[in-house]
Amino acid sequence: MRVALADDAVLLREGLARLLTEAGFEVVGLAADGDELLALVESAAPDVAIVDIRMPPTHTDEGLRAARVIRERWPSVGILVLSQHVNARYALELLSTGTDGVGYLLKERVSDLEELASSVNRVAHGGSVLDPAVVGEFVGRRRAGDNPLERLTDREREVLALMAEGRSNRAIAERLYVTDHTVEKHVKNIFGSLCLPPSPDDHRRVLAVITYLNAQ
Amino acid sequence: MKPKLWVVAVAGALAGAGAVWLAAHQPANRPTEPDAVLTLVLGASLLGSGLASWRARPENRLGPVMVLTAFGFFASQLIDARPAWMYTVGNAVQYVWLIGFLYLLLTFPTGRLESRLDRWLMGGVVALMVLPLLAMLDGNKAGLRCDSCPDNLIQITHDNHEAMNLLGLQRLLGAALLVVIVGVLIRRWLRASPARRHAVAPVLVAGCASFLALAATATLDLFGDPLNSLPANVFFYLTATVPIAVLFVFLQRQLARGGVAGLVVELGTAGAGTDLREALARTLGDPSLQLAYWFPAERCYVDGAGSPVRLPVDDADRRATLVERDGQPIAALLHDPFLDNDIGLVQSVCAAASLALENERLQAELRARLVELQASRARLVGATDAERRRIERDLHDGTQQRLVSIAMSLGLLEAKLPARGDAGPLLRETRAALAVALEELRELTHGITPPLLVERGLSAALDELCRRASLPTHPRLEVDRRLPDEVESAAYFVASEALANAAKHSHATEVRVAAWCARGQLNLEVTDDGIGGAGPDGGSGLRGLADRVEALGGRFTVSSPPGRGTTLRAEIPCA
Repeated sequence: MRVALADDAVLLREGLARLLTEAGFEVVGLAADGDELLALVESAAPDVAIVDIRMPPTHTDEGLRAARVIRERWPSVGILVLSQHVNARYALELLSTGTDGVGYLLKERVSDLEELASSVNRVAHGGSVLDPAVVGEFVGRRRAGDNPLERLTDREREVLALMAEGRSNRAIAERLYVTDHTVEKHVKNIFGSLCLPPSPDDHRRVLAVITYLNAQ
Repeated sequence: MKPKLWVVAVAGALAGAGAVWLAAHQPANRPTEPDAVLTLVLGASLLGSGLASWRARPENRLGPVMVLTAFGFFASQLIDARPAWMYTVGNAVQYVWLIGFLYLLLTFPTGRLESRLDRWLMGGVVALMVLPLLAMLDGNKAGLRCDSCPDNLIQITHDNHEAMNLLGLQRLLGAALLVVIVGVLIRRWLRASPARRHAVAPVLVAGCASFLALAATATLDLFGDPLNSLPANVFFYLTATVPIAVLFVFLQRQLARGGVAGLVVELGTAGAGTDLREALARTLGDPSLQLAYWFPAERCYVDGAGSPVRLPVDDADRRATLVERDGQPIAALLHDPFLDNDIGLVQSVCAAASLALENERLQAELRARLVELQASRARLVGATDAERRRIERDLHDGTQQRLVSIAMSLGLLEAKLPARGDAGPLLRETRAALAVALEELRELTHGITPPLLVERGLSAALDELCRRASLPTHPRLEVDRRLPDEVESAAYFVASEALANAAKHSHATEVRVAAWCARGQLNLEVTDDGIGGAGPDGGSGLRGLADRVEALGGRFTVSSPPGRGTTLRAEIPCA
């Protein structure tokens, strides 16, 4: 699998490249800002672009803007955005361009090689990845009045959070040490309790869940 | 001075009586203007106003000028006398008094010929007096319309035709010169400062009217209508009003000095709200008056708003009069040069107002210090803000990145050492500890300056703040543009502190956060439905917020009646 990398900090760029190589990915090029990344994606046609949010010249959200351009021009390229901060707004903006093949992770998550490999693979194959810390902000927030989340059991809320992170039923089953069948049952209950239209597709339900949670 | 004036007055009265007697006993066959009544009116006006002005304004030469003009006018009445020598003198000086009259109008109110144009005009008037004398050398009719006049003692030839031509020339040139003078006076008046214009107006109106009447009389004389004495009468009546107008203006200034007493009373009884400048401007009759206060520390003059003022030096349009108290400068009055004619008035006003001015000076100094203090507070807040942003950036680019890089290395190490069973758990433990450190660092950075505030502005950051709040929160955020850094930061920290307080102390069930811009200021309101009873003195947190908002020239209020929730409101200028 071919991966392109953009981060203005040399230390992190090189470190991430080594980790990806170690995990068996082919790093096709490194970029230091958004423009370089766009040129790189154009010339090297990677399967996934991994991009830091805050980069020169404004040091605000260049990575996010580059991601948006890539989604427009090269929709088949998966995008994994890395951030040093938990920023639910940025994650939502990213997902609003479509949940297929996008991900938003805190930078330090990449130190877990397995987690990194799994996230890159999911994004490359059109799935979505959302950092647990961001999901936590949605699931954990308290709202005035009647909160439909109160109607879920603890286990169902756990499953809901993992769904929001973009995990498949199988992955959730593995995480929770239960059978696929049990997860399916939980998912059906959750969708029922929250009055969401049933969405069997693992990939598309992230948006449904996040949209629901954000609207609360 | 007084005995001399008495002498002048008595002499004038005698001369006037003589002139009136002559006018009353004009030969029936050659009546001339003015008649006895007009002679009395104009003579009394010139002499009386001249003497009164002389007494009121001894330093101004217009009083004596008017008295001299009166004597000249009386002398011109000798033309009605029967003895030949008197008749001859009367004829020769018939128009001389007009020189004084013109001088009066051209130089009012200073009494000095100030421009070259003035001197030329006066020269022209004097030159015109030669023509009647020349005419008298030629004929006996000079200046008279009679057949049976006494002898003209300086007559040389008998060429009445020549004499009439000379007189016609004098009237023609005189009428033209008068029109020019009226034009000059009106133009000068239109260009004058408001104070001068106001003061000169009565004299100017009366003078110009009388000049125009004289010009009309001279023009009618040209067409030889000796019986039509109406314009001449009009001229003499109008002329009689001029000395009275001069006296009126002088006395008005005199009354203004009386106004100083009123000023003292006004300043003594007035409260702090009195406009000192207004009162002084009124007393001095100069609406353009400005006050400047001496700031000893800065060694400069400053206006009421605290801005430095440069005193006019060699300025044709402005004058500065310095006010001192116990030998120390306290203020300066910047006024119209017109008041130079009335230095006495300005000085008495300065003396009367010195205490009030000193008071005002101290207040102005205080205001300037407050402005400086406010600016320095704002600078401090701005500097603190910039420093916060710098620290956040340094942590982001430095420590945070190094820690993440170490975490990556640990991950790599873990992947490369899968077989060493005892190292695995230790590595995972280290990585977990590192993750906690990073999380703490992230929280710390967020507390110093929320990245979203820097990157996306107030609404985005407040939205995020509400999302992360532990109490249910309803945001209503209507700030759709970027505001100055320090304004955004202040508003953010007010909201952040308010939400934290609500969560900690208020027992509230929900909070409303509203932010909007209106009339150049940012409004922020955080309301909870808790127990209330919070005060700005209760926690240093609220005091600190108030300081921050007020340093930016804003207002911070807390409304927290017991049992009825708490509302924090911040209004910060953000134009």
